[in-house]
Amino acid sequence: MEDIARFAVEYAGSLGSTYSEARIQKLVSRSTSIKNGEPQFSAFLTELGIGIRLIINGALVFTSTNELTKSNVTETVLTAATMARIAAETLRKPTVLSNVKTNKDKWEVQQKQNLTSVSIEDKLKLILEADKCFKPRRGVKFPARILTLSETINEQTFLNSEGTFITSKIPRVAFSYIVTAYSPSKGTVQRFNKKGESAGWEAVSAWNLIELASEEADILASILNEGKKPPKNVLDVVLGSEVVGIVSHESCGHPFEADRILGREAAAAGESFVGVEMLGKRIGSSQVTVVDDPTIPQSYGYHLYDDEGVKVRRRELIRRGIVNTFLHNRETSAELGIESNGAARTISYSREPIIRMSNTYMDRGDHRFEELLESIPKGVYIKSFMEWNIDDRRFSQRYVGLEAYLISKGKLAHLVRNPVLEITTPGLYKSVDAVGRDLSFAAATCGKGDPQQGAPVWTGGPDIRLRKVRLGGV
Amino acid sequence: MENSLASLAVREGKRRGADDVAATYIREDAKMIRFANNEVTVSQSWRSTTICVMVSIRKKVAIGVIEDLSEGSMKQSISELLKIAKTTRPNRSYARLPAGPFRYRSSQAGLSVQSSNLVKYVKDAISSAVSSGADRVAGSLVFRSSSTGIETSAGASGNDSLSSLEISVRAFSGMEASGQSNSCARSEKDFHPEQAGKAAAEIAKKAVNPLEGKPGKYDVILGPNVVANLMNDVISTASAFNVDAGLSFMVGMLGKRVASKSLTLVDDGTLSDGLNSRAFDDEGLPTQKTIVIKNGVLQSFLHNSSTAKKFGRRSTANAGWIVPQPWNIIVERGGTSEEGLFNDLGKGIFITNNWYTRFQNYRTGDFSTVCRDGIFRVADGEIVQSLKGLRISENLPRLLRNISCLSDKQYWVKWWEVEIPTLTPYVLAKDVNLTKSLE
Repeated sequence: MEDIARFAVEYAGSLGSTYSEARIQKLVSRSTSIKNGEPQFSAFLTELGIGIRLIINGALVFTSTNELTKSNVTETVLTAATMARIAAETLRKPTVLSNVKTNKDKWEVQQKQNLTSVSIEDKLKLILEADKCFKPRRGVKFPARILTLSETINEQTFLNSEGTFITSKIPRVAFSYIVTAYSPSKGTVQRFNKKGESAGWEAVSAWNLIELASEEADILASILNEGKKPPKNVLDVVLGSEVVGIVSHESCGHPFEADRILGREAAAAGESFVGVEMLGKRIGSSQVTVVDDPTIPQSYGYHLYDDEGVKVRRRELIRRGIVNTFLHNRETSAELGIESNGAARTISYSREPIIRMSNTYMDRGDHRFEELLESIPKGVYIKSFMEWNIDDRRFSQRYVGLEAYLISKGKLAHLVRNPVLEITTPGLYKSVDAVGRDLSFAAATCGKGDPQQGAPVWTGGPDIRLRKVRLGGV
Repeated sequence: MENSLASLAVREGKRRGADDVAATYIREDAKMIRFANNEVTVSQSWRSTTICVMVSIRKKVAIGVIEDLSEGSMKQSISELLKIAKTTRPNRSYARLPAGPFRYRSSQAGLSVQSSNLVKYVKDAISSAVSSGADRVAGSLVFRSSSTGIETSAGASGNDSLSSLEISVRAFSGMEASGQSNSCARSEKDFHPEQAGKAAAEIAKKAVNPLEGKPGKYDVILGPNVVANLMNDVISTASAFNVDAGLSFMVGMLGKRVASKSLTLVDDGTLSDGLNSRAFDDEGLPTQKTIVIKNGVLQSFLHNSSTAKKFGRRSTANAGWIVPQPWNIIVERGGTSEEGLFNDLGKGIFITNNWYTRFQNYRTGDFSTVCRDGIFRVADGEIVQSLKGLRISENLPRLLRNISCLSDKQYWVKWWEVEIPTLTPYVLAKDVNLTKSLE
């Protein structure tokens, strides 16, 4: 396989490319899914192909194929070169990539217990047992449930015309579910949740799916039975780790992607309310530090080199309330005259590498959970959410709580249903006055790119306190 | 070659003990030109062949997607698939594949478009938008050509091909004003990138100097982009799998009113100009036209053989082996001109585009979606002010019941936020809840 990648790069060079790279990717996926306690299917996917990027006359082209014969790769590269020459005639300025260190490396994520060492029968048995935890309780039934366990092994060989050569192997495993809880007198609530890590079966064992499902069933029943109408006015709000994670991802990670800032994603994923001129300016309170870090061991977004062969690093996007850095690939970093910080990712041999997050989270502070609550006379704690969205400049967002509590005189009083936080990004970050000390993460699939690329990421953070925000939506 | 690979998969599956085997192959050649800041940013091309295989043994179902297509690898993948099927447990709802052979519509002749023409189309769209007042233009153009085949152990065998051109254009006028439009077609004569550029720029020009929108209940006109986005969700909730999974507000509603009398919603896999038409579904049944909602009353869910058996119905030829999938969505047109629709609105809001539709509860249909690009206050049937920062925060069945009329001209919509091609007019809906974010 290395030979065909090397051939593609050399052939692109012979056609006049000033830069070329080839990525052979083999993705083997297995998943099993049950609906309402009944197996639906088990699936097996193998993806194997080559993705090639090249620059000719300043025009950037990406091409891919899964027919890995020399003749087909020749034709594929030739077509790409033709497209580049035609596109080059329209360019006002050429695509330039920033200089980076050449890397040669081979790395992989070790599995303590190999994913393939557990039979499909045992995997199915495990999620069927987890499903059984959704038994009726306290007048609440769980009439609709989908549970899915999935795993992928992603093997890649990357090389480019500058001499970088990297091979890697990442196993990823995930468990997700969507459950409907129903009470004849209280209606329905739904919960989607996902666990995911770059690891072997040991991750699934640690998740304890039986306990997870039992706790989920209990809390959904409690929300239906005990949840009251939430207050709707200006008050203090504590956001749980799960909500802080989606906030960090949507209203910091995305608007700090330099391709959005420079307009490259304007047509679909959108632009950003953040501009280059905001570097060094305050965007939030001094309590707020938001990080994107691909190097967290076992994280769902874990990787050591990005898909341009650049060694990745921890990136503090917001440092103590100040806009600190953006997420860059070689193209955007060249445009701004700086180094790439290794944020180019792709999910398949058939997709171009673009700027992506990895594991985005708000960094921990020093408050215990009780300390976050104790000074709040009346407020709301939003622990989890279902509905959320944000505008395409990442300025105006909405989160609707699922598990949420009224805070009264510094303590949790009772559950409330569907509290709505609809707030601007600066409004949110400026209102943070205290940050918890316990950091946790959730797994998610981040959408971006045209065609769409769903990238595995972690979102996370500690619990945080917002002072005087309007709850209830207007 | 691909037919023989699908046949090989079926033969190999049967030889190894499967009761049912269905195999589809998809060969796709596609090119995309992406552009931003008035120039091409990247050109992309793809060439792939994929075999998808479903096997069942005593109602135990396994599905495989195979891209390594050497004969040895194919046989190994089928062997792995059978091993998976044997070790899983039965799906009691599984129905045997429909018995063929079937007769299929013949394929239309495919398009052949040179790369230089694709770039020309992009230049046309950019020039048209700029000359209509845009200062920045972004978008993507896709030319897709695919051939698809099916082989099943129940005797279905067929081929189909499809090619299409799509362009999505977003025009900007300053930092806060933008407009989006698209053109998509199965033939070059029906493909109008310059019109898409012009339409996007005209919205952007009208959208300059927006004021903060005020939350509240409004009568609204939803442009084709918005209707198409929401109808993608409506048709998804009509997939029988989602109904059974509780991910639908249509549970228990067959034969009952789910929308206003004005709304008739159809899925159609047979349309000659449909961008997602196909002669057969994944079980080999010839595709058909299915009326999902007629004059506001729910007529049918979308079915494959297994969901049809579970619901006591006939398949609507929407397989998806597990989840029935729509082909092309049609919102039947109304009898009012677009001008008449604005006159009927009188005072209210016109929303040209949206994105990020998310549900708090699929069972009840509680959702919100962010308005994007041109949002306008309308008075006396005329656009009087550009607005910003609004979000539709509603209940989907309530919104459908509040549709009061539809315009008499339909537009094809397919873009990043509209996955299933949708032919739709403008829609006027009453009492729609709009919210906004505060500092």
